[in-house]
Amino acid sequence: MNGIVLPRLLRVASFRFAALYVAVFAGSALMLGVTVFLAAGSALQQQMTARIEAEAAFLREEFQADGLAHLIDVVRERGQGASALDYLVEDQAGVHLAGEMPAKADLKPGWATIDVPQASEDGNRPERVRALVSDLGGGVRFAVGSDLRQIGDLKKAIATAFASTVGLAGVLGIIGGALLSRAFLRRVDTIARTAEAIIGGDLGRRVPMRGTGDDLDRLAGTLNRMLDRIAVLMDSLRQVSTDVAHDLRTPLSRLYQRLEDARAHARSMADYEASVDSALGEAQGLLETFSALLRIAQVEGASPRAGFIDVNLTAVTETVSDAYRLDAEEADHQLIATIAEGVVVSGDQELLTQALSNLVENALRHTPPGTRIGIRLEGSPKGGALLLVEDDGPAVTEADMPRLTDRFYRGERSRTTPGNGLGLSLVSAVADLHGAKLSLMAMKPGLRVSLTFPLAKRRPPHT
Amino acid sequence: MKVLLIEDDQETSAYVARGLREQGHVVDLAATGRDGLFLATDGGHDVLIVDRMLPGLDGISLVQTLRQTGVKAPVLFLTALGGVGDRVRGLEAGGDDYLVKPFAFAELLARINALARRPPLTDRPTMLRAGDLEMDLLKRTVLRGGKPVELQLREFQLLEFLMRNADRVVTRTMLLESIWDFHFDPKTNIVETHISRLRSKLSQRGGAELIYTIRGAGYVLRIPAPAEP
Repeated sequence: MNGIVLPRLLRVASFRFAALYVAVFAGSALMLGVTVFLAAGSALQQQMTARIEAEAAFLREEFQADGLAHLIDVVRERGQGASALDYLVEDQAGVHLAGEMPAKADLKPGWATIDVPQASEDGNRPERVRALVSDLGGGVRFAVGSDLRQIGDLKKAIATAFASTVGLAGVLGIIGGALLSRAFLRRVDTIARTAEAIIGGDLGRRVPMRGTGDDLDRLAGTLNRMLDRIAVLMDSLRQVSTDVAHDLRTPLSRLYQRLEDARAHARSMADYEASVDSALGEAQGLLETFSALLRIAQVEGASPRAGFIDVNLTAVTETVSDAYRLDAEEADHQLIATIAEGVVVSGDQELLTQALSNLVENALRHTPPGTRIGIRLEGSPKGGALLLVEDDGPAVTEADMPRLTDRFYRGERSRTTPGNGLGLSLVSAVADLHGAKLSLMAMKPGLRVSLTFPLAKRRPPHT
Repeated sequence: MKVLLIEDDQETSAYVARGLREQGHVVDLAATGRDGLFLATDGGHDVLIVDRMLPGLDGISLVQTLRQTGVKAPVLFLTALGGVGDRVRGLEAGGDDYLVKPFAFAELLARINALARRPPLTDRPTMLRAGDLEMDLLKRTVLRGGKPVELQLREFQLLEFLMRNADRVVTRTMLLESIWDFHFDPKTNIVETHISRLRSKLSQRGGAELIYTIRGAGYVLRIPAPAEP
């Protein structure tokens, strides 16, 4: 298990970050250690030197005041006491007179290092002593020194403390990094496994979330939303292909029948012309359906705001209601337009015109004579807009409502009226492109279709 | 009229060429952008019909090059790309009109007829006349046999368009585009109802029928032959 996990662990980003952090930490601790080590060493050295010099001055005074015998007494007394210093008094020939340090004939005044045998203490290792040698005159020399090991021990203690701290921190850092990486790796693995499963065809899989709201959870949430969106798109794509295949088969087979019929039964020029005319009509309808599909695909594929300009929605609404007014009168419908002045939205004028036209046409076509059709445009002071087309015709059935914007969908009642069931699909696509909200409401009687445009100067939300 | 058709699809090309020749036009054909450019710079064509997507040199670049070399013949783009952006690019490149595939031949014919005789913008008249019909573009008034005819804005624009193109067929699509700025096909009878309203207003003052419906093609305003003295 470890053999597999460890090499992978080394490749995990969080482990690398942890390792890097430990290295930086250890490096700075080491530098601090070296600084403390050197500073402490030199401070101790200075302190020792000062003590030795003071003691030497004191002994010299004692000697000058009371003579050699008194000096020897003082040295012996100090040697027995708790003083940490070592002493030596010798004569010119190097004969030992007093003190722990051995006599040496060739001692010169000044600093010297003297080995003091220590049989009783550390085995046979001599004690190294740093001593200040003074010549008292009259053939007497004396030396005061301090054990160098005291400084050495202290330095060793400082070094050991730092080394163990750094070592421990390093080990803990690496273990912590490894644990962190394992946890991270497990969660990344979960995401990767989910992705693999989806690639493998299990499109319903989603990245499990832990509900902690941490960064990985947020990433998982975003991925899931993206997957949901892709699923919706794929569904609609599949639906469209099925719909296209299904809904175009009917007019195509009618076309085929007309031609076949002409071939088999037409006897006169007039028969042929009639058949060709009706075949042309079918072909025309097919072409229109295709161009409507193509138009919807173009609108859906367009990037939001690309080529958007400020569109005078008031003018668009006026043009459209004006264009259909005569038509509505001919069909014995009442067209009532209530249009607010100066409503401007950011968008594509041509598409907005077509979307509104489709809504008005729907209202004209799917309602009986005598129906009132209302077109209303309201602006909001903040720059949004509400565009609404409503009628008081027969109610749309509950079953039809949610499917009205589906491609090719035609309510039971409207199957006999001309049309291809693509009008509202285009309106829906245009609304999406503009970040506008399309809502359809059964009014009992009638239907109200509204487009709510977002405030200007704001990006339409990307769903 | 001498027409240059630059189109790589053989079937479309043959179909259009046959139709144009039946109408008595002279048609030159080119199947690639480079051939088209060569023939067009030779000059002498009244109208160019250019496919947007061509092998070798695309339609846009071709027309741009032509305009740079000073060829002024009007250009009609044929295109499978019907989006706003596509049309705008086509017109900016120096095209004069566009027609989205698939198209009816009558539509193509009406458009090239309109293009070939489109007068320069600068010397547009302020008065239009067709028989006993007079239109004052500055005062926005219409007289039929000297008596005023009250027209709504759209009816006026419709009549103006028909009078400018008198004796030429204008299609429903052309009217939708120029009068209402509708670049799509409404499924209702906007054009038909407006034309019929216009006809009835014009005939209130008596006189011969002026606006004729050409089945499968569009409408035409025929200037009546002057009455025999």
